[in-house]
Amino acid sequence: MILTGPAIQSAVKRGDILLEPFDESDLNPNSYNYHLGNSLLVLGSGGKALRKVSLSSRGHVLKPGRVYLGATLERIGSDRYVTLLLGRSSIGRLGIFLNVTADLGHLGSCSHWTLELTVVQRVRVYPHMKIGQVSFWLTNENSSHRYIGRYHRDSQPVGNRDHAITRMRQ
Amino acid sequence: MILTGPEIETGVANGKIIIRPFRKRQLAPNSYDFRLGNRCCIYTQKILDAAKRNKTRTFTIPKGGLILKPNRIYLMNTEETMGSEHYVPIIRGRSSVGRLGIFIDITADLIDLGSINQWTLQLHAVHPVRVYPGMSIGQVTFWRTRGPRVLYSGKYRYHRSPVPSLAYQHDYE
Repeated sequence: MILTGPAIQSAVKRGDILLEPFDESDLNPNSYNYHLGNSLLVLGSGGKALRKVSLSSRGHVLKPGRVYLGATLERIGSDRYVTLLLGRSSIGRLGIFLNVTADLGHLGSCSHWTLELTVVQRVRVYPHMKIGQVSFWLTNENSSHRYIGRYHRDSQPVGNRDHAITRMRQ
Repeated sequence: MILTGPEIETGVANGKIIIRPFRKRQLAPNSYDFRLGNRCCIYTQKILDAAKRNKTRTFTIPKGGLILKPNRIYLMNTEETMGSEHYVPIIRGRSSVGRLGIFIDITADLIDLGSINQWTLQLHAVHPVRVYPGMSIGQVTFWRTRGPRVLYSGKYRYHRSPVPSLAYQHDYE
């Protein structure tokens, strides 16, 4: 089952969901809006970070054919509910993907989430713009597994840390 | 929890789910197949801007179809008016459509409770591909909720689909 907006708000108050900073005006009927952080990592071939772009109030034009890693302005997560990350329809209508088929958060993963931005057409984006939404889902009770993985404490856009991929190539 | 096909049919019968027109043959085991409408909206400026109103052109797709090109976003309406005040809809493309390299939404698959409308699909093709009005294009699933329900009262409510991005309204305060 998916939490409604009022249920998300209650869970934030109880401490079962982390949304920091939290603003009631960002609650939707069944999700919460998150904002884009202040910087982007531009990736080149092989997923290597080419450069970091600090976003100014004039914004930055994203181009097709590239992956840009961004981060949510908010720290987001929950030990109790599974988090799904998605874009806003206003942003999808501009042809901006917020993730590349990796929308499922782990229980217990509480951080600034890394966004994988790709675009269909060139489009200008701005720091702190409302860019996506998270939804929260009930699990079976008494789940005891918590995420303590390699992206656990991220606060900036973080590139790939999957050393298994490197191993596969060897 | 996700509703099964028979539960979706019951929801339509008792008014908790709106699907108009509803055709029983479009029911799947745990979703409903919806169709592509015949109106399309494209942007006419080269660089879009998330903080401004972007210029668009809206046209009717002929029966002979429309070739989607990879370098563009095509906003098109669903033929059906859909939504629910009781269950949260989530949309996705049909696997037959995904196998053609067509995205029908751009990381925006979750519909708000109370958003009852012809929805605006965000079509994007990986390679050129022709689509037709009335074709079976996507599936909608319905999910049970936990907590008090408030309904959608947002900026797309009174527009006729497809509606271009209204991100420039209120999103930059």
